[in-house]
Amino acid sequence: MTGTVASSADALVDGWATGYRDADALERRLVEAARSCIARWGLRKTTLDDIAREAGVGRATVYRAFPGGKDRLAEAVLCHEAGRLFTGYDAALSAAATLEDLLVVGVTGALAVMQDDEVVRSVLAHEPDLVLPHFAFHRLERFLDVAVALCRPHLGRFLPDDAVHPAADLLARLVLSFGFRPAPWLDTRDPAAVRRLVTTYLVPAVTPPPEEPS
Amino acid sequence: MDGAYACVARDGLGKLTVEGAAQEAGVARATVYRTFPGGRDELVAAVVSWAVGDFFAGLALEIGPVDDVATLLERGLVAGRRRLAEHDVLQHALQVEADQVVPQLASVMPAVLAFLRRDLAQRLAGERLRPGVDPQEAADVLSRLALSLIGTHGAWDMDDPATVRRLVRGHLLAGVLEDPGRP
Repeated sequence: MTGTVASSADALVDGWATGYRDADALERRLVEAARSCIARWGLRKTTLDDIAREAGVGRATVYRAFPGGKDRLAEAVLCHEAGRLFTGYDAALSAAATLEDLLVVGVTGALAVMQDDEVVRSVLAHEPDLVLPHFAFHRLERFLDVAVALCRPHLGRFLPDDAVHPAADLLARLVLSFGFRPAPWLDTRDPAAVRRLVTTYLVPAVTPPPEEPS
Repeated sequence: MDGAYACVARDGLGKLTVEGAAQEAGVARATVYRTFPGGRDELVAAVVSWAVGDFFAGLALEIGPVDDVATLLERGLVAGRRRLAEHDVLQHALQVEADQVVPQLASVMPAVLAFLRRDLAQRLAGERLRPGVDPQEAADVLSRLALSLIGTHGAWDMDDPATVRRLVRGHLLAGVLEDPGRP
């Protein structure tokens, strides 16, 4: 059961990466246009016509690129963005020499997306009702699966196999929480503050406890 | 509140109206508007925050008096998840109208977090903390994780006492307490 869920999350993450890598110039232009429209008018009000106008292409072209129509638009943009981030951060994450460095890079990067990306910030600020339901209760399980798939190759360099899943689970929850509700005591743009969070609270929390003597 | 809650339990949050709540409670519409001048929106917000308050008050009662943070978290996570699973009204609402219910719940969460944080910070101040740990910060991290874990089980099987113990003493409190006890 867990295997199926994990492999479907793995496939999803692979899909993002390849989707982003293989996207042609038109697709990239449409995603950029969609981002501008969403940042300007919000997700709810953006139509495929708006995107066509913004990108300077015909309606039919947009419908071909987003076959699911308006309902799948957010998903398409999100997948593309996820692929971009994944590709962008992968190198920095792979370069981390210690668990501590890895968590500093990962936490800083993930929170930067939630707090600094123009589109994410605007949707979170003005249309949180469209976002929040996907990150709570049973729907959060899906996100946690994806987070585990994303973290596994990196955390796996520093943690034993069976410690990776619990670690990714806790890290994903905490990053989401700080992203949705910033903490006054944690300036996530201050590298020293993030490092203190990581060394004081996160590294001990994700490092497996010593085995019980049997 | 009872009238409004009965309406939500029967028809869902989306169908809650001032009229319905008034009828259910056996009072005039004007009485509801006097209490909630904002009308339906205010009534919805009030019934959600009342239900959340009721949930956590019940949870606190069930946990009972506890001296140490580790036991508090263990009991709270197990009982919290069970109460949530057995909460028919909420479970039904999450099935059929999560898009309306979750944002309402989210708007109450800062108050819940603040309450939990204050309580945990006080308790942590009485425990032996690891060097560099600030009780306020630690209470904030723990509150966020605890609420998330009650809402969504993720990697943790809360029906298994050994897993809960490992989660609380081996992970959540590993960076916070000098001696969280054997995981």
